[in-house]
Amino acid sequence: MLWKRIGLKDFEFPKIHDYKKDYIKIEGKFPKEVKINRISESENKYFDIEFSGVGDKFTSFAKKYYNAGIQLRLPRNTKIVEPVKLEFHMDENNPTLVDKNLIIAEEGSEVNIIMDYYSNEKIETLHNGLTVIYAKENATVNIIKIQRLGDSSQSFDSNIAYVEGNGKVNWISVELGSYISGSNYRTYLDGEASGSNLSSIYLGDGIRKMDLEYTMIHKGPRSISNIETKGVLKDNSKKVFRGNLDFKRGSRHSKGVEEEYVILLDPTVKSDSIPALLCDEDDVEGEHAASAGQIDENKLFYLMSRGLDERESKKLVVEASFRPIIDRIPYKYLQEIIFDEIERRLIDA
Amino acid sequence: MERKKTYIEDIDRGIYDIKNDFTYRYKTDKGLTEDIIMEISREKNEPEWMRDFRLKSLEIYNNKPIPTWGADLSGLDIDNIITYIRPDTDMKHSWDDVPEDIKITFELLGIPQAERESLAGVGAQYDSEVVYHNIKQELIDQGIIYTDMETALKEYEDVVKEYFMKLIPPNDHKFAALHGAVWSGGSFVYVPEGVQVDIPLQSYFRLNAPGAGQFEHTLIIVEKGAKLHFIEGCSAPMYRVNNLHAGCVELFVKENATLRYSTIENWSKNMYNLNTKRAVVDKNGTIEWISGSFGSKVSMLYPMSILRGEGARSEFTGITFAAEGQHLDTGTKVVHAAPHTTSTVNSKSISKDGGYAFYRGLLRVAENAYGCKSTVSCESLMLDNISKSDTLPIIELNNDNIDIGHEAKIGRISDEAIFYLMSRGISEEEAKAMIVRGFVEPITKELPLEYAVELNNLINIELEGTIG
Repeated sequence: MLWKRIGLKDFEFPKIHDYKKDYIKIEGKFPKEVKINRISESENKYFDIEFSGVGDKFTSFAKKYYNAGIQLRLPRNTKIVEPVKLEFHMDENNPTLVDKNLIIAEEGSEVNIIMDYYSNEKIETLHNGLTVIYAKENATVNIIKIQRLGDSSQSFDSNIAYVEGNGKVNWISVELGSYISGSNYRTYLDGEASGSNLSSIYLGDGIRKMDLEYTMIHKGPRSISNIETKGVLKDNSKKVFRGNLDFKRGSRHSKGVEEEYVILLDPTVKSDSIPALLCDEDDVEGEHAASAGQIDENKLFYLMSRGLDERESKKLVVEASFRPIIDRIPYKYLQEIIFDEIERRLIDA
Repeated sequence: MERKKTYIEDIDRGIYDIKNDFTYRYKTDKGLTEDIIMEISREKNEPEWMRDFRLKSLEIYNNKPIPTWGADLSGLDIDNIITYIRPDTDMKHSWDDVPEDIKITFELLGIPQAERESLAGVGAQYDSEVVYHNIKQELIDQGIIYTDMETALKEYEDVVKEYFMKLIPPNDHKFAALHGAVWSGGSFVYVPEGVQVDIPLQSYFRLNAPGAGQFEHTLIIVEKGAKLHFIEGCSAPMYRVNNLHAGCVELFVKENATLRYSTIENWSKNMYNLNTKRAVVDKNGTIEWISGSFGSKVSMLYPMSILRGEGARSEFTGITFAAEGQHLDTGTKVVHAAPHTTSTVNSKSISKDGGYAFYRGLLRVAENAYGCKSTVSCESLMLDNISKSDTLPIIELNNDNIDIGHEAKIGRISDEAIFYLMSRGISEEEAKAMIVRGFVEPITKELPLEYAVELNNLINIELEGTIG
């Protein structure tokens, strides 16, 4: 059903090979109570959830046939500043990645996580991931996911978070690669005054097809959510954006905002937006806004009058649109990786 | 602490709920078979092509599944709906000749009075057939045709054949097929090239019989450079059995023509309102929809504008009011099929007492439709938390040279707004009432005066003393 709009009906998984590369990168010292291990079956009970993500087929496959992933448990009141980095850099010997990740942040803890998915242009790779986050009372989980697989790759990614009272889960999603990409984020704001931000950028070029679904489910009173998405489409790319704000009964005084802004660079792009606002509770505020259009000609004209060529000028405008989101990533080296990749796709291609 | 709420009374349905005795000259059995279709066609003395059209539609109907999305239609038992009821009268052109009970009903609804005061022509349909039709002489002299569909089929057969169900073909969906099979009554309007009708025409549809269906067909053709305002009103009294309304409205707006189509649907709360409305607009033409959905148990109503000529324009203004036991699934569809077309959608909904208001919309821009502009705005007001309100606008863009904006908001009456008004010396009750009236005002001001008055009467605001 989810794939109807980008025409992926009869997907079959290829043979999954072992993923032999090391992917957990930790710089600096973590307190020894912090446990970061490869995912194991002992944690299966945390995956016993109803969540179809990008599709039941994909999530149930990840639950069973994973070949990578972590389990991370943060004890009470433990805050670690240095990020937990997961670098999934796929290559000829590791062309298939099925990662299953579990993050449990106990009361009052705080963690920063970076998940970077990369492969070069030439190899065909498959990524299918499932990430489950439990943020307990007052806990904060900041997670950055960068998908920059090569154009011969397929990427499917399902993410879910359960947030308790005063907890926060902040997602940043950067979608730059693969010729087919499905990406799904679902956050349950279960506790009172729980919160979640989802900031994302996507860039469609070539024949890329993207199906992006972001869902915020407000259950706790005074919960707050914010979805902000900036996109750019060029060539023959197609994207489907689904943003859902769902206010369940009892989520009084909650507020949800959702915004999608897309720049269309070529007449051959296709852009579907389906923002849904579901409301079972009267005392809430929900808002969504979407807009789509070309690059502002005045901006372009100004830049070109300053001696930049059209490509350069367009790149600047695109970067300016992405920048507020990218600025939320507190790591300089990651920002550079992202801007380089955008530049490569806009200028060098 | 218990929070203060604004209570708004149900629409007072008084005059709408007056039932007449169920008398008829002819009616079909319940349910739907080939024999019943043949009977309807024979009773109406129709040309052969229409009979065949009905039979073909029936076949499509039998093969199509009931839609599984949207509202729950399981309470609709089509085998128990009477599809055709001829009232105990022929069509009249003089009001005095209409039988007394039918006349009283329409008089209570204000139809003849409105005609005398502000309308150019009036049609009134009672159950399956039109019982009264009248149009001012000067409009006839200008070549305007305004009559019921049955008469049109006899007198303007070629025109009807050319346009009938071309915009909404029977294979569109199950209820379009049903309509094709059993349609009866409705209005036919033809405005010749360059003729501008300044005062509105109005049709009123009244379903009196219990357990019946109404399937009127409205066909309006506005030729090049012509202009028309058409008003449609619908109502039915409350019975314990479910009724069905599956009408079709086909609007053809030619080059440079303008059509404003206003509807107030105020069906009783046992009605399944599955109406299909569609307009196709040629070069530089304009369609304006004003749509109010109040009654019915279930509504699935999405008037659609197909902008197929360059520079065509559509404007949709809609309000939906869902109270207890109602699921109103409404919205609009716009297809930009030509360059430089523009559209505006402005939708408001109110839900209360467990009512469920659902805005479902589609905005599609085709590959070749460059230079298009569209603005969609949806606002929902929830008056308590046993109600439900959802918004699902789908946007499909297939080229880059466009300018699209969409926004939606949901919520309750804001405390800040009330506080502000109260700081200006207005009482809390009055402040709340003002906000609700202000919320619906963009719609009421678009309505013809008598309907605006009616709407204001319909939304009778009552507030509980909640100071403190």
